[in-house]
Amino acid sequence: MPDSDNESGGPSNAEFSSPREQDRFLPIANVSRIMKKALPANAKISKDAKETVQECVSEFISFITGEASDKCQREKRKTINGDDLLWAMTTLGFEDYVEPLKLYLHKFRELEGEKAATTSASSGPQPPLHRETTPSSSTHNGAGGPVGGYGMYGGAGGGSGMIMMMGQPMYGGSPPAASSGSYPHHQMAMGGKGGAYGYGGGSSSSPSGLGR
Amino acid sequence: MDNQPLPYSTGQPPAPGGAPVAGMPGAAGLPPVPHHHLLQQQQAQLQAFWAYQRQEAERASASDFKNHQLPLARIKKIMKADEDVRMISAEAPVLFAKACELFILELTIRSWLHAEENKRRTLQRNDVAAAIARTDVFDFLVDIVPREEAKEEPGSALGFAAPGTGVVGAGAPGGAPAAGMPYYYPPMGQPAPMMPAWHVPAWDPAWQQGAADVDQSGSFSEEGQGFGAGHGGAASFPPAPPTSE
Repeated sequence: MPDSDNESGGPSNAEFSSPREQDRFLPIANVSRIMKKALPANAKISKDAKETVQECVSEFISFITGEASDKCQREKRKTINGDDLLWAMTTLGFEDYVEPLKLYLHKFRELEGEKAATTSASSGPQPPLHRETTPSSSTHNGAGGPVGGYGMYGGAGGGSGMIMMMGQPMYGGSPPAASSGSYPHHQMAMGGKGGAYGYGGGSSSSPSGLGR
Repeated sequence: MDNQPLPYSTGQPPAPGGAPVAGMPGAAGLPPVPHHHLLQQQQAQLQAFWAYQRQEAERASASDFKNHQLPLARIKKIMKADEDVRMISAEAPVLFAKACELFILELTIRSWLHAEENKRRTLQRNDVAAAIARTDVFDFLVDIVPREEAKEEPGSALGFAAPGTGVVGAGAPGGAPAAGMPYYYPPMGQPAPMMPAWHVPAWDPAWQQGAADVDQSGSFSEEGQGFGAGHGGAASFPPAPPTSE
């Protein structure tokens, strides 16, 4: 039953007895959703496996952060930035991660620059979980029209995308109506392989919008 | 094209070209060839995974940064749990959100390979333990997994190398997974109704197709074509009749 609750998007808070415990891990629903993307459709995941991976992720964050923090202290700097994390990952053997993350960080900084340039506030209603975290990341659709949402969870396009986001919380179950509404974007955005990973579907709509 | 992988993945033969263990009359013997092929297949899957991640990172968009798969505030709290950590730039949790996703995906893929070797469809804790034990870069996680399950790993590893691994009921290593199966199946008996519709068309075709392409050394170009073909999405969603654009 608990597994069903998690899969249906029930509150992950129920899994923990105290707030402190909750803060130590990422939400099991989010972790579980990502795990599913790595497995065939007919695979199942035991609750123990989800919890183990949940613990491993926190350890991963602490492991990398500790190394990056040590580097900052040696260099008499107070703020850990993205490059420090990338350096730490390289040092600790996660070379495979660094290349995609460099591209990702580069994109983020580009969009941050665009955000500063346009200073247009496009923050609409958002799920509470993301409202809490949005202040530390861009709330602006820097790419304008051709913004692609996650193929599996949201629609493409600025306005309609946000509407879909409202109807589909990142960590919650998908109402049939909202799912039905977002299908057109799925079909447009997802290539055969891209759709398999969710991200790919959403990302592929941006290139189209940019006239590739 | 997209329909072909589904029956294959549903059947889940032990290895392409390899003889199924269940079909062999001699239960004790397990040829080394299937194992070698299985290892090659595993390496191919991981290589395809990383190649795909590099492509995907290039296509990150504003929406990706706005709607993270993992909550940034929680990541920041975990980072701050270290007393030596003083200030964190805004980009650090954003980068970690992506890094953690890659970590979860890699760990899960490696864990699933172990479940497959043991002919199971349910990912268990000891699969994660096995993946950690086999991967040097995951050494820092050894303490996360209880020793009891870590002990099971040596048996499992020996079982993998030894011919007897194919027999479900043979010896202690084989018995443990069999005993564990009934316990795990009932709780998973009620999968979310929405999930199959999302995952079946979206995941199986591309992953199996990717694996097949790797064998033919054509996976990268195939993935590129997949991204370019926006209309291919229609084929990917046979179970979605309500939409028509």
